[in-house]
Order: sequence, then C-alpha cells, then structure tokens
Amino acid sequence: MTSESQREAVIEVQDLVTHYGERQILDGVNLNVYKGEVMVIMGGSGSGKSTLLRHLLGLRKPTSGSIKLLGKDITRVSKKEMFAIRRDMGVAFQGGALFGSLSVGENVMLPLREHTKLDENTMRIMARMKLEVMNLAGFEDLMPSELSGGMIKRAALARAVIMDPKLLFFDEPSAGLDPVVSAELDELILRLRNAMKMTIVIVTHELESAFKVADRITMLDQGKILITGTVDEVRNSDIERVQNMLNRRPREEDVDTEAYLGRLTGKQR
Amino acid sequence: MAIRTMVGGIGRRTLRGIEEFGYITVLLGESLYWLFAGKFRHQPVRVPAIFREIMMIGVAAVGIASMLCFAVGVMLAIQGIDTLKTYGAESKVVIGIALSVTREFSPLIVSILVAGRSGSAITARIGTMVEAQEVDALRVIGVNPVRYLAAPIFLAMLVAVPALTILGDFMGILGGAVYSAVELQMSFGVYFDRTLEALAIDDIRQGLIKSAIFAVIIAMVGLSNGFQVRGGAEGVGRATTRSVVLSITFIVLADMVFTYFLNT
Amino acid sequence: MEYEIKSAGDYTIIALSGEVDLYYSPKAREQILAHLNKKSNVLIDLSGVSYIDSSGVASLVEGYQLARNNKSRFGLVGVSDAAMQVLQLARLDKVFPIFQNVDEAINA
Repeated sequence: MTSESQREAVIEVQDLVTHYGERQILDGVNLNVYKGEVMVIMGGSGSGKSTLLRHLLGLRKPTSGSIKLLGKDITRVSKKEMFAIRRDMGVAFQGGALFGSLSVGENVMLPLREHTKLDENTMRIMARMKLEVMNLAGFEDLMPSELSGGMIKRAALARAVIMDPKLLFFDEPSAGLDPVVSAELDELILRLRNAMKMTIVIVTHELESAFKVADRITMLDQGKILITGTVDEVRNSDIERVQNMLNRRPREEDVDTEAYLGRLTGKQR
Repeated sequence: MAIRTMVGGIGRRTLRGIEEFGYITVLLGESLYWLFAGKFRHQPVRVPAIFREIMMIGVAAVGIASMLCFAVGVMLAIQGIDTLKTYGAESKVVIGIALSVTREFSPLIVSILVAGRSGSAITARIGTMVEAQEVDALRVIGVNPVRYLAAPIFLAMLVAVPALTILGDFMGILGGAVYSAVELQMSFGVYFDRTLEALAIDDIRQGLIKSAIFAVIIAMVGLSNGFQVRGGAEGVGRATTRSVVLSITFIVLADMVFTYFLNT
Repeated sequence: MEYEIKSAGDYTIIALSGEVDLYYSPKAREQILAHLNKKSNVLIDLSGVSYIDSSGVASLVEGYQLARNNKSRFGLVGVSDAAMQVLQLARLDKVFPIFQNVDEAINA
C-alpha cells in the first residue's frame, strides 16, 4: 500500500466545527478518506458521528471549517455545482428512507429519472441489475411497506448505487438487523467496493461489522476525533477512551464537586 | 422570578412566531418559484402529483362538503325565517341566505373542513417523511423537496378549495331552497330566480378570493408544520394537531380582516 | 466515447472505446440496437473501453435480448478485467457469450 501522502483524498474534512442551536456538536474535526477505501466512522450515541455524516452529505451548513468531496468544497459551492456532485454520491439511510408512495423499482430508478435522460428500458434494466446484486430479484413491483427490515436496507443500497457513484455513504448498515442478515450486508458492501471501485464511508456503532469491512476506522467521542487509523492501529491503540470503547466500558469521568452539587440542587452559578 | 419566566416565555414565543412566519414566507416563495420556473430548469413540478393531490383534497371531499354546506343552508333558512317572521318578511330570507352563503359560510365551512381533513393529513404525511429521512433522501438524490412535495400540494389546494367553495355555494342555497319549500311553500323555481336576482358577481368573487386565501393558509401551515417535525411519532402527532388548530385560527382571523376590507 | 464499425466473417463488430457511462451509453445503445434490427450478428469489442458503468452494461443486456428474439448471434470480445468485475457483480459473466478474440467468436 502506498503512503497516505501519495494517495488521492476524495473526502477532506478540515477543522469542522458545528453547532446545533447553542450546543456545540463537532469540535475541530479533521479527516481524510482516500480513493477506494472503506472508512468506518465509529462512536457512541452523542459522539457526533451522525452529525458528521449529515455534514458530509451536505444536509447541514457548518459553523466553520471546510468539507471537500472529490475536490470541491461543498460548504461553498453553488446549488448547481452541488447538484452535479450529488451524481457522484450515493446514500443508504439507516431506516432505508424508501419513498412509501413508490414501488421498490421506482425508488431505485428515481435518481436516474432526476439526473439522466436514459431510455426507460435502460433504466429498468439497470434497476433490475442492482436488485439482482442485492438478492432482491423479482421484488421491484412491491411497495416498501411489504419488505422486511433487511430487504429494505438492501433496496436502499440498490438505490444508493444505481448511478455507480464514486462515493457511497451508509448509515448504520447493521442497526435493527439480525447477525446473519447483517453479515450478508457486510459481504455485499465489500463486493461493491471491489467490483465498482467505490470509496465507502460507513457510520456505525457496531464493532464487529466495523472491524470486518473497514480499511481504516475513525473514532469520534464528544465531537472530537480520538483516533483515525487502520483496524490494527485502532485495536492496538493505547488511548484509554479507545480501549474503553472497544471493550464497551462505560465512561468514567472526574467529578467536579461544585458543578455536580449545583446541578443536583438546581442552584447553578 | 415568575415574571421573568413569563416575560421570557412571551419573548421566546414571539421569536418563534416570527421565525415561523419567515419560514412560511420562504416556503411560499419557493413553491411559487418551482411552479413557474421549474420547467425552465428542466425540473418541472410533476403534473400527475398535482392531480393526485386534487383528488385527495378536493374530489374526495365532495360528499362531506356538500352535506355540510347543505346543512348550513337549512340552518340559515330556519334561523332566517324565524327572525324575519317578526316583521312578516319571511320571503326575504332568500336574499339573506344567498349573500351569507356565498360571501361567508361556504368558503369558511369548506376551508375548515379541508383544514381538518387535508391540512392534518399533509402535516402527518410530510412529518412522517421527515422522521423516516425520506426528505433527506430526496435532497441527497438532488430532488428539491419543495418542488417534489410542497408545490403540488400548494397548487392542488389553490384549485380544490375554490372549486369546493363553488359547490358549497350551490349546496347551501339548495339547502335554503329545500327548507323554504317545506316551510313557506316557495317553489324551487321562484327561490332560484330570487337568488339570482339578489346575487351579484361580486358576492361570488368575494367568496372565491377568500377561499383562495384560506387555501394558501391551509397548505402553508400544513406543510411548514410537517417539514419542521421533530421528535418521532409523538412529534408528528403534536405537529398534526398544531397544524389544524393554527390553520383554523388563521382562517377565521383572515376571514375577519378580509371581510372588513372587501366590504368597506 | 468513440465507436467503430467493422465486419468479420458473418459478424458486424462494434468496437467501443473510451468511457461508456451515463452520458455516452445511449449512443452505444443506439448503435447496438440499430445493427441488431438489421438482423446482423453483432460482436461488441470492449477492448478499447476504459470504463463501463451499469448503463453501458444495461445496453448490452438489451442488445443480447434483442439478438435472442431475432435469432441472431451476439457476443462480447476484449472484456477487460475492470469490465469483467462489473459483469460479475450482477452474475452477467455467466449470461453473455464472451470470447477471447474475434476469431474465436467466428469459429464458435
């Protein structure tokens, strides 16, 4: 493997600071994702990993910092440029986010309808091909409400990759799935990466699946990056918080007596 | 302390109100933008979606809207005849019904019905989509949610509510005619002749202008509450109730204001 | 994307080159379907293709289906490793007649 400096970064996050209302969520996040790798973003709830994803998807504007996708800073591009960038990115949301009023096939085809002028026949064949890959052959005419949880995730993945995107984002692939189905999904992710040379960013809190699919892992905690490294680097890290997370130990914090008493008695100063 | 909390509360609520008004203004502007400019950007508002919404908002409400307006017509006739009896002017009830139905009751009753039926449904539908990240999914695919979801509803509402109002005008007058036929033995022919004599184009127009304004209120309040849903299924429920209450409140207030300006 | 039409044996060879992606695959599709509608036997030469995406593969699928309906022959030659992986993902490597070179196709 070549050294990091030689590899092409397709995602570059620099000094990202974000707020939700008054509350600070991300505190100076720096992260590079290189072409063709599977990067897993990990962290507990409230770590800011979901917020980071929303920013990577261009769904929120940061307080400061920059996010470059495929060389373009999405915090500064025009709407038209953003529309063009969206052709090269696919997203599979946690709950699938399939449109309830459209059939599975129409859901998968929607990005093609919006972005291309392909022949109807071509679009249909493309959608069926992706459904084949996801082991959903023959399900195109069903409505999303008729699918099981695992099928919804796979249909969402089919929609995410219908345009053969350069960047694939996957939010919590294993959440709500039984271990077998979840393992199948991990296999699928790796097959997609190998065949289509996609760069894949996965957000998850599942250790097992993270270690299985990741080339590199980034661990977030309280809005800051604890560590970014290969699976082995993360495993062997001597940072206490990293080990705590790997071993599922709860956080132990120093108790600030005065602040704690203040919180309990309601007399904050 | 209590006063400070109260003042703070009023302040926050005022701020939220202003914020919401701003949000609705932007939503209205964007809906209009996509309806007019979508074609030129090769991202038109989908016509089938508009028709589907018209079916749901308008056509599906024909029965219930007719019944309500008919009932209002009957009620106005009962009250009118009873009151006018004192002066021995029962037959003048026709004018009263014609004017109050077309100018006031038909647009008002229809709008309140649509707010309860469709305004709530719009908030629930959009809110559920927000919670299921479907709106985010639209955005990452590059589909503007205002164009895809809001604009068809907005236009459908602008067609359906005035159309239902015209129907309501007719049904209300019919209600009056039926009761008058029974109570005053006035024939339908005479009743409708007198109605047409009493009505000016302006009366119908006044009702239609109002109904269009109410349609904008229902669509915008329903949509903005839907898009701003937070807090899961419970949040959707809260937003739905809020949407109906706010719609009806704004409709009645707007009715008062416009009735004043349209009549003085 | 560029294309070149040649003939060899009883085959019409459509040699595609460059990128067969969302923008250019309609052009490739048009050529493939046009020649198949003339009831020709068609070979698609992919050796000059640097990248082919699902829309390109979908056009090949459509072509193959049309060829089967017309009872004419259809095949792919010069499939690069990258293109092969895209085909394998949807198990299409087991569906298309794939030949090492034009001679092999003619003698098949």
